[in-house]
Amino acid sequence: MAVAVLPIHYPKEILTALDVLSVELWGPPGAPRGDGAGRIQSYVCSLARNALAFMAAGGADAVDGVLFPHTCDSIQGLATLATDFGGWGKKAFTFLHPKGPARESSRTYLEAELRSLVRDLEPFAGRRLEPARLAAAVALHREIDACRAALLDGRPRLAAGDPELYALLRRGEWLWPEDHLAELREARDRFREGPIRPGIPVLVSGYVPEPPALLEVLERSGAYVAADDYAAVGRRVVRAAAAAPDPWQAVLDRYWAAPPCSTRSADPDERARYLTGLLERSGARGAILHILKFCEPELFDVPALRRAFAARGVPVLVLEGELELELSGQAVTRVEAFVEMLAAGRAA
Amino acid sequence: MILRRAQFELAGRVVGPFLASLDVWKRQLRRRRRAPRESPFGPPLESVRKLKELMTAHYFQGRFADGAVPVAWVTSGFPVEILRPLGFHAVYPENHAAMCGVQRLVPGLSDAVEAMGFSRDLCSYARTDLGSVVTGRTPVGRLPRPDLLACCTNICQTVLYWYRALADHFHVPLVLVDTPYVYGEAKPHHVRYVRDQLEELVRVGERISGRRAEPEALAEVARKAKEGTDLWADCLATGRSRPAPWTGIDGFFHMAPIVALRGTDTCNAYYRLLRDELRDRVRRGIGGIREERHRLLWDNLPIWFAVREVATLLAERGFNFVCTSYTNAWAEAGSRIDPRDLIGSAAFSYTHIILNQDLPNRLGILRRLARDYAVDGAVLHSDRSCKPYSIGQVDLKERLAAELGIRVLLLEADHSDPRAWAQEQGENRLTAFMESFG
Repeated sequence: MAVAVLPIHYPKEILTALDVLSVELWGPPGAPRGDGAGRIQSYVCSLARNALAFMAAGGADAVDGVLFPHTCDSIQGLATLATDFGGWGKKAFTFLHPKGPARESSRTYLEAELRSLVRDLEPFAGRRLEPARLAAAVALHREIDACRAALLDGRPRLAAGDPELYALLRRGEWLWPEDHLAELREARDRFREGPIRPGIPVLVSGYVPEPPALLEVLERSGAYVAADDYAAVGRRVVRAAAAAPDPWQAVLDRYWAAPPCSTRSADPDERARYLTGLLERSGARGAILHILKFCEPELFDVPALRRAFAARGVPVLVLEGELELELSGQAVTRVEAFVEMLAAGRAA
Repeated sequence: MILRRAQFELAGRVVGPFLASLDVWKRQLRRRRRAPRESPFGPPLESVRKLKELMTAHYFQGRFADGAVPVAWVTSGFPVEILRPLGFHAVYPENHAAMCGVQRLVPGLSDAVEAMGFSRDLCSYARTDLGSVVTGRTPVGRLPRPDLLACCTNICQTVLYWYRALADHFHVPLVLVDTPYVYGEAKPHHVRYVRDQLEELVRVGERISGRRAEPEALAEVARKAKEGTDLWADCLATGRSRPAPWTGIDGFFHMAPIVALRGTDTCNAYYRLLRDELRDRVRRGIGGIREERHRLLWDNLPIWFAVREVATLLAERGFNFVCTSYTNAWAEAGSRIDPRDLIGSAAFSYTHIILNQDLPNRLGILRRLARDYAVDGAVLHSDRSCKPYSIGQVDLKERLAAELGIRVLLLEADHSDPRAWAQEQGENRLTAFMESFG
């Protein structure tokens, strides 16, 4: 069985343990087409608009169900619009993860919500969630995260271009986890560490690295991504979770140990601390906030992040996009100018 | 502290009402001096004077609240009933932002926060409020500094980000009541989660106020809130009469007490007065507009800065908004409150407000309003600043038109920011809509 999953946070370990393939639906990029294209207003984020059009046009018909995490008002609205008013006729699941910091109430609730999701998924998957399989799935995803972390953290010495590395990392959005792990292991060996690569290291934070041309423009301009905080990529790499012996506890621990994310309403100051830490560890000399237009969770954090970077004298480029297929000429010019400025050692 | 408390009480009981009366008197004087103008509206409601007095006194008293009593800034969908017995003075930034919207102060306030990096694509209420906080500019003189920020996500997730920014500015505790969205039926653990958070809220509120939330006091506030909600529902229900004794636009302004003063005697006394006046108008056949030819439903928040212009344009051609889904929401939120179990019933009730439920529920409400109020058309305000309210309206439009055989217009604007409103285009669309009625 396979489910399409809307961004961002969901218990992938549970899906893996139930033998359900998750195929993430980040849009897809491009202009929305088909009958569903105009059903969400143009001032709503393109991810929700595109996803509805894509599903309504049958683009996701290859999967057997869809999972809507409680990411934002737009995806929440999309979930009822597509399933109740047309656009998605197969099984739909929701994962209403708690918002805000970990509190006693939210910890209790998260476990209840995950168990409720499992009860919904079990008949769909045609199997019970066995603790041993869940433990194996947790271990599998822990190793995947370790590989991803190694690749992302070792970026300055990695013999791979950004477009190639990101293509690899993003295949995790739709591959079976075992297959993804195999290619990550292989890449870890293939992208052997060498001397620190030439070029200007930058930190990139945002929703999803679309269009990939951004990475090419960065590279062409003489920069590379030394630190990643894309919600689709680095922000979901769990580095710090303790290995609890109880698999349920391990799933919960992994949820709370994930890097701070605006869509889980992490404290902006905590996010700023996390990002400045990432910046310092990676040696990045500038930060690009690659924002999806109309994405309120991300937009609200921008002032706090700018303040945090400015306090360290780190130049920031705020780049807005709408899941275009190509980077606009204007955006290319802005990225090039930003890298030139970093190269010249000037503050923003 | 004692002096401050005395100022606070004096402001609320004497000076505020006096200033409000003075303001009303000045307005009346100005009106008398002006040559009478032809108006498509019926005679103004007498209760307006009391409404102005009430809200002026509330905001005037608020100027002296910090230092006198604990102050909480709360979202409109927050279960304020729990804070009232603890002596909190509640400030509603949304209500304040709406006032800024009416007075067209939003562009200036928004510019201030846009300069700080907040995007213009964010909710204009949030931009207005944050702008007011950083510039100190407000139409109410002064807003009291909060001791507590209390935010409930049952109206949107935006409020959480907005209140985080406020918490960052004021360095005060932020209490979050996170309400899982209801698809179909709320699951028991969803309601339990909200209940747990409300119990956490009680503990935080007690700590800040230094008072205990006594069960009797909670029950009493719950009873008053429920009564206030029922009274507000009675006021709205008068709109079913033909002609409707007031306009939906009147309703937008008269909802201020049920939002900002819910759970108080003052609120309930006001709605008894308003209800009686409206019923009297029904008996005497006095309409909200002079000649009611078509009855309309309004969906979503009002366009605060253009509310009068839009209503006048329509009223001149005999169109009246006799019901709105927005004002109706306040007649439903507190109706499930049970004074015997405020926390439990509030958890259920506040999880089930219109914006926290799926589209079939929303369609059901619109359908019921359209039928109960016998409307022959609907305007769905596609509000750039309120995505949870606006997503789905394209489909709702089609369904309302097909199922009920009424004409439906989708009108794009913003609830507060006039820069997102194309007046000529908007008026053209409204005019064409009215022409389609023949």
